[in-house]
Amino acid sequence: MRPRRFVRNTLPALLALFPAVAFGQGGTIRGHVTGKTAGQPLPGVTVSFGSRLTQTRSDGQYVLGNITGRDSLRFRVIGYAPVARLVTLTAGQTTDVDVTLDAQAVALAEMVVTGYGEQRAGNITGAVTQVSADQFNTGRIVSPQELIRGKVPGVQVVDQNEPGGGISVRIRGTTSVNASSEPLYVIDGIPIGTGAGGGLSAGRNALNFLNSDDVETITVLRDASAAAIYGANAASGVVLIQTKTGKGRPQVTYTTSGSASSITRRPSMLTADQFRVAVTTYAPQNVTQLANANTDWYDQISRTGAGQDHNLSVTGSTPSANWRVSGGFLRQDGIIRGSSTERVSLDLNFSQRLLDDRLEVRVTEKGSRNLDQFTPGGVLSNAAQMGPTQPIHNAATTTGYYDWPGNTLQSPDNPLAVLALAKDRGTTYRNIGGVQTSYMMPFLAGLQANVNLSYDVARTDRQTFFPSVLHGQLKSGQRGSDYRANQSQTNSALETFLDYTTQPLFFPGAIDLTAGYSYSQSNAEYPSYLATGLSTDLLRGNGVTTALTTQNVEDVQESRLISFFGRFNYNYNDRYLLGASVRRDGSSRFGTGNQWGVFPALSLGWRLSEEGFFRGMSSVSDLKLRASWAKTGNQAFANYQQYATYVLGDAQTRAQFGSDYVTTIRPSAYDPNIQWESTKATDIGLDFGFWNQRLTGALDWYDKKTDNLIFTVPVAAGTNLSNYLTTNIGSMKNRGLELSVGMPLLQKKRGVDWSVQFTVAKNDNELTSINPVFGTNAQAQRILTGLVSGGVGTFIQVLQPGQPVNSFFVYQHRFANGKPVFKEGAGADTAMYVDQNGDKVLNQDDRVPFHSPSPKLMLGHTSNIGYRGFDLSFTMRAYMGNYVYNNVSSNLGTYSEVTRASPYNLHASVLETGFKTPQYLSDYYVEDASFIRMDNISLSRGFNYRQQPIRAHVTIQNAFTSTDYSGVDPTAGLNGLDNNIYPRSRTYSAGLTVRF
Amino acid sequence: MTTNSSHGIRSMIRQSLITGAAALALLSVAATSCTDLTIEPKSTLTDANVFNDPGSYKGFLARVYSGLAVSGQRGADGRPDISGIDEGFSQYLRLLWEAQELPSDEAVIGWGDVGLPEMNTQTWAVTNSFVVAMYYRIYFQVGMANEFLRQTTDDKLDARGVTGTLRTEIATYRAEARFLRAFSYWHGIDLFGDIPLLTETDPLGSTPPTQATRKEIYDFIVSELTAITGSLPSPGAATYGRATPAAAQMLLAKVYLNAGVYTGTPNYAGALTAASAVINSPYSLDANYRRIFSADNNSSPEIIFAIPQDGLKTQTWGGVTFLVHASCGGSMANATYGIDGCWWGIRLKPQAYNAFAAGDGRRSFFVTSGQSVNITSIGDFTHGVAAPKFTNVTTGGAPGSHATHVDTDFPVFRLADAYLIYAEAQLRGGGGAATQALTYVNALRQRAYGNASGNISATELTLPFVLAERQRELLWEGHRRTDLVRYGQFTGGSYIWAWKGGTAAGTATDPKYNLYPIPANELIANPNLKQNPGY
Repeated sequence: MRPRRFVRNTLPALLALFPAVAFGQGGTIRGHVTGKTAGQPLPGVTVSFGSRLTQTRSDGQYVLGNITGRDSLRFRVIGYAPVARLVTLTAGQTTDVDVTLDAQAVALAEMVVTGYGEQRAGNITGAVTQVSADQFNTGRIVSPQELIRGKVPGVQVVDQNEPGGGISVRIRGTTSVNASSEPLYVIDGIPIGTGAGGGLSAGRNALNFLNSDDVETITVLRDASAAAIYGANAASGVVLIQTKTGKGRPQVTYTTSGSASSITRRPSMLTADQFRVAVTTYAPQNVTQLANANTDWYDQISRTGAGQDHNLSVTGSTPSANWRVSGGFLRQDGIIRGSSTERVSLDLNFSQRLLDDRLEVRVTEKGSRNLDQFTPGGVLSNAAQMGPTQPIHNAATTTGYYDWPGNTLQSPDNPLAVLALAKDRGTTYRNIGGVQTSYMMPFLAGLQANVNLSYDVARTDRQTFFPSVLHGQLKSGQRGSDYRANQSQTNSALETFLDYTTQPLFFPGAIDLTAGYSYSQSNAEYPSYLATGLSTDLLRGNGVTTALTTQNVEDVQESRLISFFGRFNYNYNDRYLLGASVRRDGSSRFGTGNQWGVFPALSLGWRLSEEGFFRGMSSVSDLKLRASWAKTGNQAFANYQQYATYVLGDAQTRAQFGSDYVTTIRPSAYDPNIQWESTKATDIGLDFGFWNQRLTGALDWYDKKTDNLIFTVPVAAGTNLSNYLTTNIGSMKNRGLELSVGMPLLQKKRGVDWSVQFTVAKNDNELTSINPVFGTNAQAQRILTGLVSGGVGTFIQVLQPGQPVNSFFVYQHRFANGKPVFKEGAGADTAMYVDQNGDKVLNQDDRVPFHSPSPKLMLGHTSNIGYRGFDLSFTMRAYMGNYVYNNVSSNLGTYSEVTRASPYNLHASVLETGFKTPQYLSDYYVEDASFIRMDNISLSRGFNYRQQPIRAHVTIQNAFTSTDYSGVDPTAGLNGLDNNIYPRSRTYSAGLTVRF
Repeated sequence: MTTNSSHGIRSMIRQSLITGAAALALLSVAATSCTDLTIEPKSTLTDANVFNDPGSYKGFLARVYSGLAVSGQRGADGRPDISGIDEGFSQYLRLLWEAQELPSDEAVIGWGDVGLPEMNTQTWAVTNSFVVAMYYRIYFQVGMANEFLRQTTDDKLDARGVTGTLRTEIATYRAEARFLRAFSYWHGIDLFGDIPLLTETDPLGSTPPTQATRKEIYDFIVSELTAITGSLPSPGAATYGRATPAAAQMLLAKVYLNAGVYTGTPNYAGALTAASAVINSPYSLDANYRRIFSADNNSSPEIIFAIPQDGLKTQTWGGVTFLVHASCGGSMANATYGIDGCWWGIRLKPQAYNAFAAGDGRRSFFVTSGQSVNITSIGDFTHGVAAPKFTNVTTGGAPGSHATHVDTDFPVFRLADAYLIYAEAQLRGGGGAATQALTYVNALRQRAYGNASGNISATELTLPFVLAERQRELLWEGHRRTDLVRYGQFTGGSYIWAWKGGTAAGTATDPKYNLYPIPANELIANPNLKQNPGY
């Protein structure tokens, strides 16, 4: 016994160094554990014999070696009734013991992926939500984040309506101003990007490389204690994505779907008749320019978007290996002409067990090519601005398209000419792969070593071309532009960790220890080329054209993150649970003296339902109180901020010395001590389950305080090399409540099964300080943000202590007869707006913060209804208290727009307001964008055709939206600015899944 | 069983050896790399290598100069110098021009950009974006100059082994950097009054500085200019665009002329002496008045200090690019001015238009067709006479090298201004000769009228005449606000012009508007600062 005690007591740290040979002679017990109802293999079941302990693997198999004697062989896993068998074992003997376990509350037994490991759902002490494939949103899905929209409380998934367009995810609110607030994505254990977000792409959502058909589960680590194992990358939460693996007999699955999308809402512009009246009344000098056409420009630029999606996968497994290979093809046209996305993807998962199943090697490999076409810049805004009285074509012009006469800057462009002649496209190649090995140490049961090597290679090609003959190019003097960016990024990571699970002799309960090391490196290059003043349009951006000016940019970005981490989980009979973790992160982005940050976490769980006083209440199947505290960091900001850099001027910013033009060198303002943003968060939660987990749910309260915000703040003039400096200053808080409840509403009632799920999340965000040094004065500190169209440099939002981030910053409009007051001439401004400071002058000092774009309350609902083989499901979502600035209305809702050299079409709001001059800063344009939306209705049915199982479905996405917001979409964009955003589509799709 | 078991042991040993080797390999990888977190920038220069290239000193000095001409390091916009305002709006000269001309009787701008309309009418807020940006532009220049001086101390140059010609050149560069700093400090006290004085002896990233008085900075400017005049490069085509001793004298003349405003104690004698020094330098009146504002004005013999622009090599959305485009609108044809489009922005206030007599050639470029003299709506370009003084066309009629970004340089100081300073200083008792003053003024009149018909007599040469003549000669060249303040007419009710105070006819304004407010954000970033009276 002595050598074994030695090994156990000095714990795993030394083991890697001294793999002492400590084997005795003994017997072996092995077997297979399955669940009783479905006969499925149960992984992670604790199997103990005396003091010896192991867990079943993913196939339900276990092995306990090197033991002798007579004792109880115990099988225990949360959610199932424990089982014990008396076993006698002599040296050298091998005994097979297979058991089946009775389900009690199966959901609690579900394995949930956590950072560097897995845990039973029932034993998790943080706020973690796992969504699996059968719960995913269905229909036309381009990006994996769309799969969980509305399914997880406190998670806001914001897209940009374009097919595959950029997606932002906010977990429990915004945590940063200048660094990223996107969560960290970890795909099959591989952290993606260089901090937060999805990595490199040619302009659309970076996670589009991942075929959503390959996704098995998405797990959101919502609270800081769960995420803290990812340290300096965890402050905005962590999203863990696991892809499908092979199970069971060899199988080929083919899924296909086709979709059609159409536009739902469009901006309210004047019709041709209304436009003519407006021009005649307010700009009679322009009437002669009007033609007699009746062109609906928005109709002309929009279309029905077709989509198709095909996936073929081959899966299978043997006792020691499993595999899945899948190929996918997706094409989706946008509802605005010129936009589409196309993906070809390949996903490979192979796992092999070797060396008596002690060594497991898993190889994953995902490759894709995304081809994105973008609607060229200006098409949407010009469709709004172009006069509806004007024709589309004009045979007399160079382009064949009608344009307003003259090349004055004061006229809109023909959007159809732009669509026909300009191009904007991007290609992204991405390959992510890794080898994960885990090895169960032979000399100490429960000790497992893991080594993961991974890489993420991305290469993009973004190209835009605007020929010189376009009206917009003529009027701006740009005379043709050709832009190309060829970006590449290679990230590689080594992660190695030891995991030790045991039930110690000297005290009760089970412990699970993890200790590891992680090294990741990113190398990226961002070269780009911009030429303007093209000598010819003939090459269309495919070759280098002689140009009046060219700008070549090369940017090398490299970063490194090195981490040590450890975690301790303690479980006393599933009743008392404790988790503690610490991560020490070193980053090349941190300044000298701040290079290492420590991020601890502590969480406690108490399953009240295991206590004696609850035993009698059979209706309560699970009741667990959780509390946690953790510190996490955010290092998702730019590289090299701590360096004194000098920026070279380009050829267009030289200084003339005599006849010599000198290239200039500018020192940049910098902070040598830059470091991570630090978030400290507390979470108190209650998990509950009643009637054998038929009704389940969780309630969480959290309080997050972020300090050392990376903030670009004004510095005392002259003390640094610019007026703003990026430094760690300022703090923010997010506080909220989350509730999720799931339950069956009907069970086999007249053949109907109906289960429902609700999520509710409330978050309050507040920027608490920008520069705390200045005490109460800090309240007056304001940083303008939210650039909008209308004038130059018009900012509509503010960062101000005491207000939510990006609050709108406006004049308070006076109303009369339900309409905003409009006056002209001396004193008009104070007659229209409230003079907040009472100084009789209306100027920038009279603007006030007014609402913010973040929803105060987010509600989600999912229903699943089964009836005679049909499955009907729908997902609804509602946001309350989110506001949007209608920039189309503010920019074009004024009669002054028809007085330009060539008149602009007007937003219909002008019919109500009668504004003759623009009122960009009026609170009239800040609209309540609360809404309720039927995101998804899906009907599916499975049947057999010649013994082959087939499943067919039809889905409607965005079936309806109910909102008071007057613009095209209350949800597009995170920042609440609606400036000719891409409109939202309603999508009908139908599909089939066939298995062989 | 025995064979099985011994096989098992062998395999276990083999496995643990594999494991041990793997663990050791990983640990050694970890140990060698785990301490190395340093990754230095590769595609950007750093303080560690920038001065390894001797050309960097000139490049850095050029950046102090270009702070007046461009707004960032990439094209007309990109990699901006200062934040918090649209980059095109943030250009030094554009802001200075707007601060000097819009609130005066010379110009209105028709755009509704936030903060801009208030500039036309003397009703700006303490948060006015244009005022804020002007303040930061001044200190950006001060910061650049100070850092240049910090990086070129004898100690630093010795340490880098800089000797010989380069060392001599750097001595000249240092004088130029000090000139540019004094130039911006002059704008600082002229526009904002009491402001902080930061020099190269203040370390970078220092704590918020204290507020110096206007007089302390005035004294600093005077002593700096006096100290460096002899070290500046001599005038000539080879140093065009750089500060010469005459530029320093001219700046001294301007500062002395306004000494009464800045310190309470006038120094007209100093102004007259400095102006005379300029007049005696190798500059002459340009026979062609229009050349001074044309695309080839770098060849004008009259310009003492210019902010050079070039359509291809020195691009900006501010400066003369702004002046040429914004002055154009209505029925004006952009091609006439060598540009690709009009911005429909700035026009004359009626008082400025009416200041010119019929025969005065300095109004020859005014556009009255389709324009009204009076302004009932500032937003309407056709209200107010258009005054495209600056053009992107050469005296030969050829357009500049680029139709958006102009080739026309901005004449900061020119000889005519020195003549008028002489005349004013003489009239205000600064010495000199009255006949000489009259000669200088009539030289300008003669050029304007093309003959002696516009000449004035000695009795007509009065202080009000000089002010009016300054308006005619130097219209829209960025001097007007300072001149009106010096004459006590900028605020208050002694002189009312259209839209002064916010009404079409004009009203008296609060004297607080003689100074711009210290930006509200700056008062928070630097609690040592006291706001100007009245704000």
